[in-house]
Order: sequence, then C-alpha cells, then structure tokens
Amino acid sequence: MLGSTLAILGVLIAIFAGFAVKDVLLAKRKGTRYTFRNCLVSYGMMLPAVALAFIFVLLPIIYSLGYAFTDFYLLKPNNIKFNGFENFENIIESIRMKGDMYNAIRNTSVFVVGVVPLQIGMALGLALFVNRSKKAVGIFKVCYFAPVVISLTITSYLWLQILSPSEFGLLNSVLKLFGAEPKDFLRDPDTAMLWIVVISAWQGCGYQMLIFLSGLTNIRKELYEAAALDGATAWKQFLHITCPGLRSTFLFIVITVFVGACRVMIQPMLMTGYQSHTVTLSYYMYVQGYSYRWVGYSSAVALLMTIVIGSITLLQRRLLREKD
Amino acid sequence: MENVVIQNRQNSEAEVLRKQAQRRKTILNVVYYLSGTLLAVVFLFPLVYMLATSTKSESAYASDAGTLMMFLPDFNNLSAAAENYKKVFVSYGVWQYAINSIVYAGVIIVLNIIVNGLAGYVMAKFDFPGKGFFSFIILFLIVVPVETSIIPLYSIVKVLLGMKGTISVLAVILPATISIFNIFLFIQFFEGIPKEYEEAARIDGAGNLRIFFSMILPLSKPIVATVATFCFIGAWNDYLWPTMVLPYAEEGAWPLYPIQSALTSIQSIQGITTGEFMASLVVTSIPIFIVYVVAQKYIVQGFGSAGLKM
Repeated sequence: MLGSTLAILGVLIAIFAGFAVKDVLLAKRKGTRYTFRNCLVSYGMMLPAVALAFIFVLLPIIYSLGYAFTDFYLLKPNNIKFNGFENFENIIESIRMKGDMYNAIRNTSVFVVGVVPLQIGMALGLALFVNRSKKAVGIFKVCYFAPVVISLTITSYLWLQILSPSEFGLLNSVLKLFGAEPKDFLRDPDTAMLWIVVISAWQGCGYQMLIFLSGLTNIRKELYEAAALDGATAWKQFLHITCPGLRSTFLFIVITVFVGACRVMIQPMLMTGYQSHTVTLSYYMYVQGYSYRWVGYSSAVALLMTIVIGSITLLQRRLLREKD
Repeated sequence: MENVVIQNRQNSEAEVLRKQAQRRKTILNVVYYLSGTLLAVVFLFPLVYMLATSTKSESAYASDAGTLMMFLPDFNNLSAAAENYKKVFVSYGVWQYAINSIVYAGVIIVLNIIVNGLAGYVMAKFDFPGKGFFSFIILFLIVVPVETSIIPLYSIVKVLLGMKGTISVLAVILPATISIFNIFLFIQFFEGIPKEYEEAARIDGAGNLRIFFSMILPLSKPIVATVATFCFIGAWNDYLWPTMVLPYAEEGAWPLYPIQSALTSIQSIQGITTGEFMASLVVTSIPIFIVYVVAQKYIVQGFGSAGLKM
C-alpha cells in the first residue's frame, strides 16, 4: 500500500511540476519573475490543505478505482493481488442468483422511484402553499422545516419507536382503536421500504421547500399581474409562468434529491438492520467492505454505483437543460 | 327623487357584492389556515411525541398509548421527567458523549476554517508557479460526483493510524478538516476583498499569517460564520464515520463516541425505558435546534451558495 501511495504521489508531483515549469517559463518570456520568498510562503500556507486533501479526498477516490480490480481483504493489507474483472463477475453472479446484490438494486430502485417524486412534489406543494404574504406563514414554514433539523439517526430511532411492533407503539395503538392487531411494519417485506420512503420524504422535503421558495421569489411579480389581466386562470399561470421560472431550481433539486436517494443507507441500517427486503446498495457496499472486510469487492460495487449515478445525473441534466 | 332611489339601489347591490367577496375571502382564509395547521401537525407530531414521551415513566407511556395523552407530557408525575433526564445524563453517561461531540465539533470547526481558509487565501491572493494545477484539482473534485469512497477511506485511515485507543480520535477529526467546497467558498469571498487593505497592512510590516488571521478572517465574518455553522451541523449529526472508526468504550474509561454514535449503544442498554430513550433523543437534538435558531441568517446564506455547486 505504501508503494502504490508513493507512486500516486509521484505522478501527481510530476503533473504539478509540469504546470509549475510552464508557469515559470511563461513568466520569463513576459519578463516578470516569481520571487522565491513568495513561492515559499504560498506553498507553505497551502501545505496543510494539500496534504489533507491528498490523503483523505484524492487517495480514496483513486484507490476505490484501483481496489475494484483487486482481491483486497482488509485483514491482509500487504497481500493485494489484481484479479481482473473477478469482482464484477461475482456481482453479476449475485444478481443472477437473486442474491443480496439483486435485492440491493431492487430496494434502492424502489426507494429512488418512490422518494424522488414524493419528496419533490411535497416540497413544491409546500413552497407554493407558503409563498404568499399572509399572517402565520412564517410559523408554517418553521413547522414544515423542523424535521430537517434533526439528524437521520434521530429520525430513524424516533420512527422506529412510532412504528414499534408492540401494542403501545404510536401507530399500533391508534390502529388498535379501530380493532386492528399490532403489526410489525418494518419487518413486513411489503411495507418496510414504503415506510422508509415516507419517512425520508417527511424528513427531507422542508429543505427543498426552502430552495423552491427562493426560486419562486426570483420570478417577477409583474408576469403574474399581466397574466391575470389577460384572464389567465391560476392553473394556466402556474403552467406558463411558475414552471418555466423554476426550471433551473427544479434541475438542481432533482439531481441533488436523486443522488441523495441513491446513497440511502442510515435509515434501513438503523430501522431494520440487514434484511433482504430493505438492504440498499450503499448499505450492501458498507457491509461487504466494513463488516466482511472485502474492500476489493466493495469497491467494485462502489465503482458501479458511481458510474450509474454519474451517467443518470448527466442524462437528467441533458434532458432538463435541452428544453431551453 | 328617482335618481336617488336608483343610486341607493346600486349602492346596496355593490354592498351585497362586496359582502359576498368578503365572505368568500374569509372562507378561503379559514380553509388556508386550517390546511396549514393540519400540515403542521403532520410535520410536527413525531417531534411532539418524542418530547412528550421523554417525560413519562414506562407505566404512563403504556397507559397513554392510543389516547391524545400521547402528545402531552405527564402532568400528574412531573418527577418522572426529571428522573428520565437525570438517568440519561448521569447513569447512561450522555454528558460524556455530549462533551465529546462538542469537542469534536469545536476542533473540526477551528481546523476547517484555518486549513481551508489559508488555502483559499493563497488561491485568491497569491500568484505562484503551478497554481493552475490546484485550480484544476479543486474544480475536478467539486464537479465530479464521488459518492462512494468511504470504504477506501476507511482502509487508508486504518492502515495509517492503526486505530487503536485514543489515536482513533484523529480519524474522526482529520478527514473532516478538509473540505474542497469550503476552499471554493473562501476563494470566492476573498477575491472580493480589495488589494489595498492587504498592501497597507504589508507596508505596516505585518506578515502573511498575521494578515490572514487579523485582517482577512475578521473581514470575512459572513463566510466564516456560514462555514462554521455547516461544520457544526455536519460534525454533530455525523453518525456513520465515527461509529466506524472509534472503538467501543472500555469499562471505566472515558468513552470516545460522539453523542449520535452513542445512541445505538444507549438504545440497547438492558432495561432502558421508552421515556429514557426518548429523553436521550431530545438531548441529542436540542443543540442543533439552538444552532438553527441562532445562525438562521448564515444557514440561509449557505443555501444560496449550495446553488453554486451546480
């Protein structure tokens, strides 16, 4: 591991030296010069950030690319061998056998398909709802935003209590009033993922509401006044003024919510544990890499995820931008 | 005479119309506020439930289930609330975890501002050979979505620090001190500070670090406050990474877990009551609520700069 780190460092320094030499030559041609003192001061002040960024940001990215093609097992860090596409073959095998990789893809897809429209729809609805000058609108905003403030951990544990399978859990005790038997919502394969979708949307949508609101305030008021004079209905105004005005906000929100949804992990981890009906891609990757210590295989999953998320993000950008 | 009658009739018709419009407006208002309140209930009931349950003994929790009392504190037995919170703080050691969280967050905020601020200062104000390389790396790391390098990061940290005992605290702090996006924010802000200030300070004989700490940072209060606020929220709410890198507390020793990570072990304590667990959740969320109230302005500014990411 030390050898490969030094190799990467060497390559980066070589590229940097190329840039630096080019700059020095250019300066010489122009007749200006860098003072030695100035360079030393600049590099000195950059050094902490550069060192930390190299170790904790750049290196993990480069390694996650490299590890994907190795049999890296965390307990044997000095015995790493390249094994070509074996990790990817194993992934395909797990999908074909309907193993946990298959479950992870299915559950993550269910989550993304559920939460992206739900959360964005709720956020947009709330933003339109509070986007008027009435009394108490400020209080409403604070109420709808409140769940954003608490962490995912607290959200998960709180809802775990609300959905508790005992007859004293909030939901079960209410359902009992209607004569229903206590249910274990999060162990039921049919409802567990749906609850995670609803809870995530409940927790997150206040944030997107605020972003939508700032988008709405950027739309000029005169447009609505003019449209009202021409007799446009509220629906028509929404369709022809609000929607085009919100396009860039919408693009930003779709992409961030989508990417966030693809990474979902804490909620299933804390609310259900490792279950075939709730395991998600990130969670699967984490369990393979951290609990089972198969860093190589886990990195291959991560690489696939990055490729898929990246290309879908690009596609969304293209689709939503092209209409301009 | 006839004119006056017509006038009166017109007036009263207008009056009726106005009254109708008024009534419609009132009804719409009532509908608006009713639905707004209903929505507020949907968003708040879990939080109210958490707060109310944290004041209850296990028997009150069980007897209140299924009634509206679930959302109200137990007024008959207020000492139960004090007992729950006291037990959480003292017996379950939440005060230690809370101190850990505050220390981690404090150190991360200070280091984050110094490390990324210095880098941003150099990138914004200095010219040196190879600057283009760093600009390229910063841009690359901001644009390329890297969502999944936590396992390689873990393997690096594990090999680097060995992760035994107290040294693993560094594994929590160090990766959180670097943030490419914060460097980007600092560059943007520092570029707007006029060169003359700096030149004046330099003539007075101030060194570079002196200029950075006693002039640039104080001039950049808004961006420093925004970065500090988001650092605090991030550090306080982080669960996964500290849980991965920190060891379990040994018997009798000071635990290393921050409060969020500790929730998992608190939840599995033998014989913990629902009220006590809810109290630990309340204690964990209160500092964040305070930060959101106090630093509202900077959080909104942060939202504005989040849009820059695109």
